[in-house]
Amino acid sequence: MLHRDVGYLAVALTIAYAISGIAVNHIADWNPSYRVTKTFVTVAPIAATDPNGIITTAMDRLQLVERPRSSFQPDSHTVQLFYKGTTYHVDLPTGKVMVEATRSRPVLFEMNQLHLNHSKRAWTWIADIYALALLLLAITGLFVIKGRYGITGRGAWLTAAGVVPIAYWLVYLK
Amino acid sequence: MTFIKTALAAAALVALSTTNMQAQGKAYGKQLTLKEKTPISAILKNPHAFHGKRVQVEGTIVEVCEERGCWIKIASDQPFETIRFKVDDGVIVFPLDAKGKKALAEGVVTVNMLTKEQAMKQAIEMHKERGTMAKFDSTKYMKDVMDVQIKGEGARVLE
Repeated sequence: MLHRDVGYLAVALTIAYAISGIAVNHIADWNPSYRVTKTFVTVAPIAATDPNGIITTAMDRLQLVERPRSSFQPDSHTVQLFYKGTTYHVDLPTGKVMVEATRSRPVLFEMNQLHLNHSKRAWTWIADIYALALLLLAITGLFVIKGRYGITGRGAWLTAAGVVPIAYWLVYLK
Repeated sequence: MTFIKTALAAAALVALSTTNMQAQGKAYGKQLTLKEKTPISAILKNPHAFHGKRVQVEGTIVEVCEERGCWIKIASDQPFETIRFKVDDGVIVFPLDAKGKKALAEGVVTVNMLTKEQAMKQAIEMHKERGTMAKFDSTKYMKDVMDVQIKGEGARVLE
């Protein structure tokens, strides 16, 4: 009964953690939380040299109404304008602009935030309780079935097989 | 009536504390402890004097590691200068939307001499992370370079 009820309670978090786990595991191939798109446009070259003139002209060329929340010049011929979710990288002499839009991936972003515990505070406790629930499920799960399919029979072999990935890691990957 | 008054007072308190938290920004990693800020330009001007020292710097975040959020570049108080604030992978993860926001960041300055091969390898990795390999100019890495960065411990990103 304990195994059954704790199992029901753990379903939602297990699904969220499992999906996020796969997403985060492939972090070298993609960003699981954000979608970054880069597009290129060309505007007339910008000849202004003072920082404010550069920003105003770039805004004018790009038809941006609001002032950026901040800006930066990494070198004398580039300016970056930072807006919420969008950065404009403007090459002043050529007028080439890289528009970099960053959007969070719906649902996956929230799942990853939970999984990686970005919120800290109370979530640390909730995650600990969830981990303890999984531990409880693992241990009680060993004894749910009795007889030849239980831990004294087939279950023992399968449980031992579950140790193989850990042994592989210890021998070859550590 | 007393219940409504108490509830309103509690709601006001929560709103006040939320506003205060927003003004303080979002915290990452360890709490900031230093009282004084060091200008980034001072560190870059004389890096060896700061090697191994804990500093607190302030500036606009102009780049975030696209892959893991494991570093940010903070703009200096002087033009064309930035410093990299590197944190341990997974310990702190800076969100990509931190770009353009102001950061208060604390950590230990590290100065390393990189061979031209190491410098080029690091630059290639960074360009890959930024998706700007097309702009990579290998001629910039014809000699050994000094790499100055802050090993990050904690930061606060202000809205």
